[in-house]
Amino acid sequence: MKPERGALRVVVVDDEAPARALLREYLAAHDDLDVVGECENGFEAVRAIAEKAPDLVLLDVQMPKLDGFEVLELLDRSPAVIFVTAFDEYALRAFEIHAVDYVLKPVGRDRLDEALERARERLRAASPPPRPAALAASARPAGQYLTRVLVKDGPNVHVIPIARIDRLESQDDYVAIHSEGKAYLKNQPLAELADALDPARFVRIHRSHVLNVDRLARLELQAKDTRVAVMKDGTVLPVSRTGYVRLRELL
Amino acid sequence: MHPLLAGRRRIVLYLGVWAGIGVVLGALLVLAAPRPVSDAAIFVGPLTLIYAFACLSAWWVCRSHPLGSAQPFRLGGVLAGAALQTSAVWTVVAAGWAALLRTRGIGAESGRMTRDLALVFVAGVVLYAQSLAAHYMVLAFESARAAERRLLESQVAAREAELKALRAQLNPHFLFNSLNSISALVGSDPESARRMCQLLGDFLRSSLALGARARVPLGEELALAERYLAIERVRFGPRLTVERASEPAVERCLVPPLLVQPLVENAVKHGVAGRVEGGTVRIAARRRGGYVEVTVENPFDPEAPVRGGAGLGLDNVRRRLETLDPQSAGLDISRDEDRFRVTLRLPVLQEDRGEA
Repeated sequence: MKPERGALRVVVVDDEAPARALLREYLAAHDDLDVVGECENGFEAVRAIAEKAPDLVLLDVQMPKLDGFEVLELLDRSPAVIFVTAFDEYALRAFEIHAVDYVLKPVGRDRLDEALERARERLRAASPPPRPAALAASARPAGQYLTRVLVKDGPNVHVIPIARIDRLESQDDYVAIHSEGKAYLKNQPLAELADALDPARFVRIHRSHVLNVDRLARLELQAKDTRVAVMKDGTVLPVSRTGYVRLRELL
Repeated sequence: MHPLLAGRRRIVLYLGVWAGIGVVLGALLVLAAPRPVSDAAIFVGPLTLIYAFACLSAWWVCRSHPLGSAQPFRLGGVLAGAALQTSAVWTVVAAGWAALLRTRGIGAESGRMTRDLALVFVAGVVLYAQSLAAHYMVLAFESARAAERRLLESQVAAREAELKALRAQLNPHFLFNSLNSISALVGSDPESARRMCQLLGDFLRSSLALGARARVPLGEELALAERYLAIERVRFGPRLTVERASEPAVERCLVPPLLVQPLVENAVKHGVAGRVEGGTVRIAARRRGGYVEVTVENPFDPEAPVRGGAGLGLDNVRRRLETLDPQSAGLDISRDEDRFRVTLRLPVLQEDRGEA
């Protein structure tokens, strides 16, 4: 069946084939929807959403490589999102990042139709939807710190475990993540990323520098009240007065 | 702290007994050498009170020398030494007290005093020996009560852990995902949908049946794990494969129920499901003397996102194993770069020996 002109483009993301088949079957009943892609894991989803530019994404949460929230964090565009999952515990987080709806498995046709209707309304609305990527980066489970940082590099995604990060450096709207001799640029303010890291491990020593205390070699006094941090790889970083206080509290 | 000093009622009772002993001791003195009752009372009263407390020291002697901790004659020597020593000190105190009383004109000639002190010494040894015996009884009673409490506690812990295991078996996410798969199959492949319903029914029924028993043949445990995997294979398709290796003999061993399937579930949830290419879950069971060893091995993606509930299944299994004999029950976890391996040791109760 040829989708009508102006149909909404939909990408379905779920690592289980039967779950995708079910959604496909339900979506087939809607003439105004056109399924332009199906993905089995987070990496595929990031790529497919970038390439196919869908209006709507049906997204599972638990998947290989990247979970649903991590996928959203890496998007440059902001399609409408309907989460489809067996887990009810992510609902709050989903609505915090303005997901259109949150549908629980087993999925009922009526319930999905309702979510789709909401998505149509959202997409018809004149106001541009809030960008889920920016929100997803800051919405993490309460009381938990990041275990890894994701950086998009063209169509690829770098996954950097927290333990491998040496330091962060603010560069305009970006933050440079230094890890094992390489630097990765991530489109996120330094303060926001720093807030998501374990404060027992990462300290903001300066307006534009955050360091992993495990990588700190020593502190040096340069002049009266002026200190620098010398990292184990020899990098020298400025330490502000409040940064010094924070660092001393931790050490 | 001595258990007697823990309550006022106990102290009063104890001193009451010693008042009786004092009366007897006084009477013995009067009988041994006639004297005014008041003289005997003033002599014996304070001495008995002192000795009542001195005999409490038997508590520490008994505690540091439990019955059976040393050769009987050596233990006897220690106890006799304690009794003689304590009584000797008491007798010296008695001699001093008698001398003090004599300066006040109470008590009499020194010939009688030697006999009095001899009597005091013998009474001291006998009383201390009795105190030792009484304390050993108290200790035996207390340790019996403690053992009983420990047994009860471990039974309660075991029951609780079994209930938890059963509840985990009915893990809602597993059910929700399975129902979703069935719902998908109803449209595209009704025959498979029916098969899946039957698998799910079988799995739930045998979970409940196994959970209700204290010991089950290992073969039934492995069959339950396979039913679980068969259901997951419908969800994950070719991404999930299973290898099983076990000797028929080991499958007849009786083991505690619902300990294998949680490990297999973990292997799928935190291992294979997190890998794009999927992988093989390997289950192997073998007999090792008095226990069986079940190994569940799976590949995992070290960079996979963290899944909720990680390790909960393992924790529950570990808690249940703690309620079993630590000699033959245990859980070892090893991992290298991308493989995770759990080895479960379970005590065996051979089938011909029947239910435990």
